Amino acid sequence: MSYRRAMDNPLDDWFVREILVHEAALVQYLRRCWSQTDDLHDLRQEVYVRVYEAAARSLPQQPKSFLFATARHLMTDRLRRGRIVSIEPAGDFESLNVLLVDEVSPEHRLGARQILKHLAAALDRLPERCRQIVWLRRVEELPQKTVAAKLGISEKAVEKQIAKGMRLLAEHYHGRSPAPKSAGRGVKRRGAGRLE
Amino acid sequence: MNADSRQIEHDAAEWLARRDADDWSPADTAALDAWLSAATAHRVAFLRLEAAWNEFGRLKALGAGVPAGELPHRGRWSQAPFGLQPATAHEAELVPVRVRSRRASARRPAPRRGRAFAAALLVALVSIAALWGWQRFDHVTPAAYRTTVGSLREIALADGSAATLSSDSAIDVALSRRGRNVDLRRGEAYFDVAKDASRPFAVQAGSRRIVAVGTRFSVRRDGEDVRVVVSEGTVRLESDPGDGRSQPVTLLPAGSSAVATAGGVLVRAGSIADAERALDWRRGFVVFLDTPLAVAVAEFNRYNTRPLVIGDAGAAQLRIGGSFRWSNAEVFANLLEQAVPVRAVREADRIVLYSR
Repeated sequence: MSYRRAMDNPLDDWFVREILVHEAALVQYLRRCWSQTDDLHDLRQEVYVRVYEAAARSLPQQPKSFLFATARHLMTDRLRRGRIVSIEPAGDFESLNVLLVDEVSPEHRLGARQILKHLAAALDRLPERCRQIVWLRRVEELPQKTVAAKLGISEKAVEKQIAKGMRLLAEHYHGRSPAPKSAGRGVKRRGAGRLE
Repeated sequence: MNADSRQIEHDAAEWLARRDADDWSPADTAALDAWLSAATAHRVAFLRLEAAWNEFGRLKALGAGVPAGELPHRGRWSQAPFGLQPATAHEAELVPVRVRSRRASARRPAPRRGRAFAAALLVALVSIAALWGWQRFDHVTPAAYRTTVGSLREIALADGSAATLSSDSAIDVALSRRGRNVDLRRGEAYFDVAKDASRPFAVQAGSRRIVAVGTRFSVRRDGEDVRVVVSEGTVRLESDPGDGRSQPVTLLPAGSSAVATAGGVLVRAGSIADAERALDWRRGFVVFLDTPLAVAVAEFNRYNTRPLVIGDAGAAQLRIGGSFRWSNAEVFANLLEQAVPVRAVREADRIVLYSR
């Protein structure tokens, strides 16, 4: 039960620390470039797969740039597969990327209090039953079995709610929007057109 | 494919929830390892959920002030105990200040004495301006403006017109009461001309002269070849009768572009949107539409000191389209490699493009 897999593998650790922290920016980027909202979940996963596999061969020096370059390549590949000949969108991804790299402050810089606030907000967005079970399990640290007994439901049902909570919390947690203070800062730079 | 990534996420959550349960065995560990190793997609989905779930361990801090077994109300965290400020606190503070200042300015009476003073001041200013204008009637203030490769420059001219100088360009500007003359010595410039019917605005580019009254247009010079793009109003393109033959004057309406070479003047009518697109360099972009790579590369090189070089005839003939940031030839080369069959060889002082 106390088994923890992550962090015992340096690559997994790197992936969580250097790549997953940029999920909000990544998703925002994908959403701007890709009109098919239905594809976003899949695109995101595919980007992660490519980044992870590339990093297994050799760890990128600039994880964030590498992440966005991978996203760009993936979209270009998909466009090509879709037989869209013009590379116009590719040009566009590029300009957006220039924007985004500046726009989103790295998550590491968030204070502990702010993180806690994000977490609490994510918790509050869970459906009632799910929130209750996550609370008992994760905050009060009751074993799933005890939670089940307390609520008079099966252990399987608790496990199911936990799984659901994990998915929703991950979506809120990784997908949280960047701090509003810095939002829009990059947009002004778009037309600046200076050498970088 | 869509269903797949969501399905994998569901599976990953199930594994994680099961591991979180009480009857996790070594056999389960082996099974989970097998599942994780089966596909990188499994692993990244699992890591993503696990990282968030671990992070939520911090929520224990929230439970500190709450009796065991009691579920706090939603939104409770934004209140006092953890020092978590509600997001709206700052906004709430700002509002009264704004209201107060608006009221203050609305109530302030316009003093009659102040108005009289303002009128007197205006008369004085007009007199000074008239005197100054009279003195400057024939006065010419020449000014030279330059840009280096890779930079743009916006220039406010004394007549109210604005000029944008493209990369590696040079203009001399001479304004007087009788006329406004710009000499485009090199490169390209865009002009947003202030209307003044009594003073035509003329741009000299080698042996060509482009005259406007009030309009927006750009003039570009490659040696003796001149290209004019008009995005508003009408301009007149005149040529010096240098070779003995008198050359006709060409009127260029908004949306049109003209290329004047030794062989003559070629005018292409188009929409204003087309013209605007040709002027996107001002916003940091170059735009190509079914353009031979050789031409696109030449365009890029106007803005960059590390040139792109065409390595073979095959590469020169490839056609590309798109809108690209001109400040970064490296990125352009990367995009080309993805989109068309070329291979870029990056050398210290240049990037060579070969067909593949």
